[in-house]
Amino acid sequence: MGHSFFGGIHPAARKESTRRKPLVHLDIAPARIAIPLDMSTGPCSIPLVRVGERVKVGQLIAQADGEQGANIHSSVSGMVEAIQPRPYPWGDTVPAIVISNDGNNTPCSNPLTPLVLDNISQEDILTRIREAGVTDMGRDFTSAYWKILSARGRADTLIVNAAESDPYITADHRLLLERGAQILLGTRALARAIGVQRAVIAAEGDKLNAMEDLERKVRKKDIRVELHILPSRYPLGGEKQIVQAITKREVPPQGAALDVRCVVFNVAAAFAAGEAIAKGRPVTHRAITVSGGAVNRPRNLWVPIGTPLKDLVTAAEGFRCQPDLMLLGGPMSGVTLQDLTAPVIKNTNSLLCLADWERPVPQKPSTCIRCGKCVYSCPMHLAPIFIHRALRAKDLDQLERLHPQDCMDCGCCSYVCPSNIRLVQSVRSARILLQKEADK
Amino acid sequence: MNLCPTTAHVPPQLSREGSTRSIMLDVIVALLPSLGMSVYLFGPRVLTLTAVSIITCVLSEYLYRRLTGKPDTTRDLSACVTGLLLAMTLPVTASYWAPVLGGIFAIVVVKQFYGGLGGNFMNPALAGRMVLCTFPHMMTTWSDALHWVPVFGAPVDVVSTATPMSYLHNGQLPPLEFGQMMMGQHGGAIGEVSIFMLLLGGLYLLARGVISIRIPAAFVGTVALLTFFTPQAGSGLEWMTAQLCSGGLILGAFFMATDYTTSPVTPRGHVLFGVGCGVLTVLLRHYGSYPDGVGWAILTMNCVVWLLDRAGMPRRFGVRPMTLTHQWFQKVGRSLSAIRFVKPKFHHPIHQQGTMPGEEYLDQIKCVLPVAGTLLAVILLISGVHSATDLDTARQEHQMEQDILSLAMPDAQIRTETPYRSPNAISISAGYSGSDLIGYCVEVQTPGFHGPINMVVGVDLDGKVTGVAITDHQEIQGMGTQALTPAFLNRFVGRSGTLSLSGTNAIDAVSGATVTSNAVMTGVNQALAVVANLDKGENVNYTDGEV
Repeated sequence: MGHSFFGGIHPAARKESTRRKPLVHLDIAPARIAIPLDMSTGPCSIPLVRVGERVKVGQLIAQADGEQGANIHSSVSGMVEAIQPRPYPWGDTVPAIVISNDGNNTPCSNPLTPLVLDNISQEDILTRIREAGVTDMGRDFTSAYWKILSARGRADTLIVNAAESDPYITADHRLLLERGAQILLGTRALARAIGVQRAVIAAEGDKLNAMEDLERKVRKKDIRVELHILPSRYPLGGEKQIVQAITKREVPPQGAALDVRCVVFNVAAAFAAGEAIAKGRPVTHRAITVSGGAVNRPRNLWVPIGTPLKDLVTAAEGFRCQPDLMLLGGPMSGVTLQDLTAPVIKNTNSLLCLADWERPVPQKPSTCIRCGKCVYSCPMHLAPIFIHRALRAKDLDQLERLHPQDCMDCGCCSYVCPSNIRLVQSVRSARILLQKEADK
Repeated sequence: MNLCPTTAHVPPQLSREGSTRSIMLDVIVALLPSLGMSVYLFGPRVLTLTAVSIITCVLSEYLYRRLTGKPDTTRDLSACVTGLLLAMTLPVTASYWAPVLGGIFAIVVVKQFYGGLGGNFMNPALAGRMVLCTFPHMMTTWSDALHWVPVFGAPVDVVSTATPMSYLHNGQLPPLEFGQMMMGQHGGAIGEVSIFMLLLGGLYLLARGVISIRIPAAFVGTVALLTFFTPQAGSGLEWMTAQLCSGGLILGAFFMATDYTTSPVTPRGHVLFGVGCGVLTVLLRHYGSYPDGVGWAILTMNCVVWLLDRAGMPRRFGVRPMTLTHQWFQKVGRSLSAIRFVKPKFHHPIHQQGTMPGEEYLDQIKCVLPVAGTLLAVILLISGVHSATDLDTARQEHQMEQDILSLAMPDAQIRTETPYRSPNAISISAGYSGSDLIGYCVEVQTPGFHGPINMVVGVDLDGKVTGVAITDHQEIQGMGTQALTPAFLNRFVGRSGTLSLSGTNAIDAVSGATVTSNAVMTGVNQALAVVANLDKGENVNYTDGEV
């Protein structure tokens, strides 16, 4: 089923250590959490609580500022200690609400009421999704509300992206397997809110057990949701690739999925939407894989938003050895972490602590032997080798013809290069150079 | 919020295990089965030749890098692969200096002068081999399979054999079983004979992801398609199989054309490259003077890689082919519309006296035009005549060769040169039926009635005359020529020893043409003596091929 995309690579999946481990709550609740106010593409959310105020689980603590913002809810019960800049996963500091946890998990006194999807209108769904603070929760940051609004009338396909093509990560797999009913509900809700007829849940072949379960549910209830199983290949999880694989449409250069009438939501977002409607629960927790050879007990966790990353390592029973590399996200597309002070945010899907034996020692780049592997592994139809050469020669005309701006940083070219040339860096420099030249 | 991670943490954090060295190692491993088979077929000299070749290549790379003060690159094993491939294209009878010369040329001139690995535009091993083709005698002396060649000393007494390629070049099917072709039980270069082992190595490379199937498939497929529809002997299938299994096609398609540095990097470029190699190979095999054309075809295609890379560039993601074509036409349109036809301006205004513009140049124009026209006409005439006649001359020569052979040695299909020389003979060549030597054709000259008579006398291995063919004479028509008729010449067939006009071993002379008869008989005697002495090893001047 499904078409495919050009290029791509097959890195060792290494998902065996966590794929059979169910999602569990943290054994030790975090003593203090810091929920960043910047968890969407819009401006920072406006805090609604004061320092010293008591908050409960699911209580609205910050309100969306504008249509692109997202509501933020407390994920624990306790007292607001401070509202101050705190470390952020991407190495900066952003304002965050720091809450000390009382450990009681007292539920909110005025929760959202559960709704029945078939009895509510399109606008009700949209309002609920906005209230619950659902964002895309994938690599993307966009608030679901904004995404649905901008897609209305311009899309014909909703794709729920359950492809985790990065190695190690199994959070979405577990979510799909354990919370299939809510995901189906959320998918239907999103499709109705956007107003599209075709809703597709796409996953890779390594999630067959979960997809089979979904298939049974779909058949039983006669739900109009298509299930696509695609051969696993990195970067299938990329937005442009999954759109191409499902609909055979190619997103035009500098465009988005909406330009080819598709809306892509992460499976975690579909689950959050389902929860928000069926149970009235806002986004307070998310599934995270803690894995890698450096931790003692790799597992899938159901983590309150705002939990410091080092608490995740504690949940994984600490380090077995000194981690060579700590990553947020997969080893192909994730970001490296200098320390573990940053909190879990809405689109964190994994924390990887790799031991030194898990990846080849980075070699010094040697000369290009023109093997061409980068050309036929590039899913964006680029020729990294020529971009690299044109950049070295500072040949701007040639660079322009090779459109390095199409690169989506998937890293396939660097991965396959037998000469260990940092091609992603070259393409990125070429992009910056062209940008500078255009600005002049 | 800038979500772009700092450049210090550029993805990916993983990379595939593998390096240039491991790729080269894979190529070496893939070539080993074929090399092993060659040792079985041609003897240990295969190993010594290969060793000389590899050592030369590695050493010359090391020395060049050392002398020019560049970092040492011998550890990436690419020089080793070049040496191995160069050895595989040589005949086992090649002298030891051949791989040395070829290796130095390949590494220093072809590879290092262009910046080392990744910079050269021609396959070094093939270029090295093609330099050695300037010694055609050495490069076309093929030892037969299962006749081991001595490791040391000049391989003088090796019987040269016809390769399947030379049969195909003459428009015949080689007299070999399919199994013999697959396992390489015939003459040929060290590495190219055993098709089965080469395919095994090719499959290994494919499985390891070192090469893609595109180049070999396009190359072999094109040759298969073209030869299937243009058989010169046998059915299309037989002709195609023989073409695919002989010469360096499989070695070239899997190991030479797929050389990273000298092949295109784009997938579509790969296919175009393979098809180009295939078409050139078939054309060169058919029209070239060398039997095999794989090497030349690959080297020629190496030179158009730049173009193929650009022609095969992947389409930009998200842009439909129609849009691309449209954009291209728009661009061409813009370029064309930028051309403005400006009215010629004349520097001198038209004189009122009635002189025309440019009148003073009229004389020059008048004399240039006829000269140019004449030159053009002459060039056209010469090239026309040349193209009309040249091919025919070559065909006639080939036909004459075949006629002479059929007269002098009817059982033989092929005549090849031998290293033998004799003062009594103009040339000595060997005749083969299949891959078996059946005799020698000796060209001799004897004085006739009016001038020298040239003839080719076929003598089989038992010392019996198989036939006599007159190639040139000046005898008078109707008189001397009576002794040059097939009826007379056939009297010599089956005779041996020393003939005379009377006595025991006598030939009846043609009355009225006694002198001519005598001349022919003298020639036959000379030829018989030459062949008899070949076996005794007396009075035979052996000269090596370089003379």
